[in-house]
Amino acid sequence: MMSAILLIAIPLLAAFLSILSKKIAPVLLLLVGAANIILLWFVPSGIVIIGDFEMPFGISLFLDSYARIALYLVNGLFFIVTILNVVEYKKLSSILLVALAALNGLLLTGDLFNLFVFLEVAGIAAYLISTTNKKPLATFNYLVIGTVGSILYLFGLMILYGMFGTLNMMDMIHEIQTASIAYSSLILPFFLMFMGLGIEAKLLPFNAWVKGILKHSNTLSGPMIASVYAAAISLMFGRLINNLFMFEGKLLLVVTVLLALGVVLGEAMAFSSKKAREILLFSSISQACITVLLFVNGIIIWAVYVVIANALSKLVLYLIINRATKETKSDDVNDLQGLFAKNIFVGIAFTVAALSVMGLPLFAGFVIKFNYLTQLAVAGQMAIVALILVASLVEGIYFVKLLIKLWYSGEKEINVKFDLPYKAVFAVVTLMIILFGLYSAPLDSLDNGIDTMQDEIGVIYNG
Amino acid sequence: MIQYAAILLMMIGLYGLLTNRNVIKIVISLNVLEIGLNIFIISIGFVYDGIAPILTSVNNSSALLFVDPLPQALVLTAIVIGVGTTALGLAIVKSIYQKYKTLEIDEVEEI
Amino acid sequence: MKKLLAFVLTIGLGLLIIFALDANTTFDDFGFANLAERVSTRYITKGSNVDIIFGQTLEPESGPANIVTSIVVDYRSFDTLGEVTVLFISALGVALLLGSAGAQKRMELNFKPNFMLRVGSRALFGIIIMTGVYVTLHGHLTPGGGFPGGAMIASAMLLLYLADDEFRARIKGFKILESIAGSLYVIIGLLGLVVATYFLQNFLPNGTVGDLLSSGIVPIIYILIGLKVGSEISGMIDNFLTEEEAQ
Repeated sequence: MMSAILLIAIPLLAAFLSILSKKIAPVLLLLVGAANIILLWFVPSGIVIIGDFEMPFGISLFLDSYARIALYLVNGLFFIVTILNVVEYKKLSSILLVALAALNGLLLTGDLFNLFVFLEVAGIAAYLISTTNKKPLATFNYLVIGTVGSILYLFGLMILYGMFGTLNMMDMIHEIQTASIAYSSLILPFFLMFMGLGIEAKLLPFNAWVKGILKHSNTLSGPMIASVYAAAISLMFGRLINNLFMFEGKLLLVVTVLLALGVVLGEAMAFSSKKAREILLFSSISQACITVLLFVNGIIIWAVYVVIANALSKLVLYLIINRATKETKSDDVNDLQGLFAKNIFVGIAFTVAALSVMGLPLFAGFVIKFNYLTQLAVAGQMAIVALILVASLVEGIYFVKLLIKLWYSGEKEINVKFDLPYKAVFAVVTLMIILFGLYSAPLDSLDNGIDTMQDEIGVIYNG
Repeated sequence: MIQYAAILLMMIGLYGLLTNRNVIKIVISLNVLEIGLNIFIISIGFVYDGIAPILTSVNNSSALLFVDPLPQALVLTAIVIGVGTTALGLAIVKSIYQKYKTLEIDEVEEI
Repeated sequence: MKKLLAFVLTIGLGLLIIFALDANTTFDDFGFANLAERVSTRYITKGSNVDIIFGQTLEPESGPANIVTSIVVDYRSFDTLGEVTVLFISALGVALLLGSAGAQKRMELNFKPNFMLRVGSRALFGIIIMTGVYVTLHGHLTPGGGFPGGAMIASAMLLLYLADDEFRARIKGFKILESIAGSLYVIIGLLGLVVATYFLQNFLPNGTVGDLLSSGIVPIIYILIGLKVGSEISGMIDNFLTEEEAQ
């Protein structure tokens, strides 16, 4: 009875029922959000078959520790963001329920066409969430670029179907690994699928939509797209990169160069910007590129930690800046000067989150950065290590500049109040970041083996 | 060959996306791109001398040579998804017009 | 200049894709798809060793005589649930963007329909609705099903909107219909989980291949999808053709 499919079916049922009454919709949203987290605790791991047709003829879901960590993160963050915003954005409750179902589906599914369908559902939900920014042209841009991305992904997937005749993820991986085909025939479909997913994951060269959407974001669309969606898409992308895509030779070189360019350009644009939200969104772009670089190089567990740390930090950073921007109506750093002079607690939370992203000792970011740079160096990727160190330096400079501006008052007096729920969220996240930075031993038991898809394939087809 | 025609359609749609400045034309180019992709997907399943995958009183046995039914089912889903996205795109176009009174991207002063 | 660049880029990309597909030996050539290597053989033979005969085979693994329907609603029913969700959220989005809290009235257009158009369209309305219902009900026997049937029902509504500039359908009723149809689809899936063992499992008997009353839950799901699609697209049409009532 307790089956992972309930994580998708219950929010969907609630979404369909919620349009009957406008008053009940927000209540349903909060109830289902909480229920999903509780349900996740009891759901057993393994392959869940849908419709009584075995793989690969039917669709199946796959839940292992990797997916479980991802689901806890996404469901938890989603619940926090909706609690803080449900009063103000009541009209979006049904859409948020569908977004929850789609994000869970993205992380659970074991079928590549099903991934496309959930990608589209999550995408359309994101376009609608971004309409709260009241910038229709930016939303239109996002819609066009997102649809092109899905089309590219479907094109690549269909070429793979024409070659191997199956759509199931595990079956496809098994076929690719056991069939002896020239690698050159796999380059086109892999590249198309990688580019298609990379558009949503904020990689170059298609991340033009990020600027339009996050630059004018508010307390709902900012954290939702930069934290919740970013985490879900990165983790799903990581699963695919680790198992399905095999990057060798020229393709690996092209992909690495593109990602490295993304990191560099992201940090450079953040450095040259004067607006708080722009700084944050360019930092998001370069962090996304670093995450994908780590996945491509096989450093799974630290990439997962980067995603978790980034999701938490960006949640705090975006919430604070968007709340302040709403009150002061401007996000130029000069207009936000002295924000923390009166809000010391919020200032501490912001500083902790920012320092963690930068990678200073005592915070989670440092432990993570140190470990993955060591692993990259061990793997011989010195160029990437050098690149990330330089990028971190640039990041440090602009974050410190931002922090100085925000702590010390300028000529204008600004008056921004943060309510208790916000402060509670900030307290919890700050504690987690500091705790993780000081005491990371419990996590040493997890390693690259949390992604068990390859083992499962071995069991099914050989065992 | 029809696969060449499908790829040509996709490239026409892509060209339209890159060069048009009127938002309605951009939506139409997106549609052309999707249609090209759908035709390509269906063409993957074609078998020479195959018949439509429906059991009728005339073609009544499953031992006959059918064309591949799976790409057709996938295209059904893809068409409906395209319809949903187009409807949403046009609603956004209407709200662009209501806000800026123009349909050309170049005339809109939004960063 | 920019147009030339875009032109060169797209032509180059197209040629690149064509060459890559031609050089790909594993990618089946056009018309020579080998179904024995693909999962589709299972869908055609319905998993049995004897041939499926129209009008004779009893209780096959998957009931519909239309093999594409059996894929869409039976084998890969979860994808169809996602697709229904896409339409649902698009209709919600259109209502969110174009709807308003206050009262709404029909938009003033330049075209004023005349009396003959208004009356004639009502006659056509019934015929189109009947065609839509027929296509929906026979989805498991002939090409068609819920999606084309629902679109036909919606086009009948569009005909009435275009032919009469005072006409407004009852949107409240459509919303209730849409919500109930969608919830029933998920509830049927959950029933499969509770009554049988798997989500969206076909727990009704399949009958004979080719009968109108066959294939278990497939016709039921298609009827629900037809109603949902019809009411959603009609709601979208109403949102596009109305505007805020001037105060």
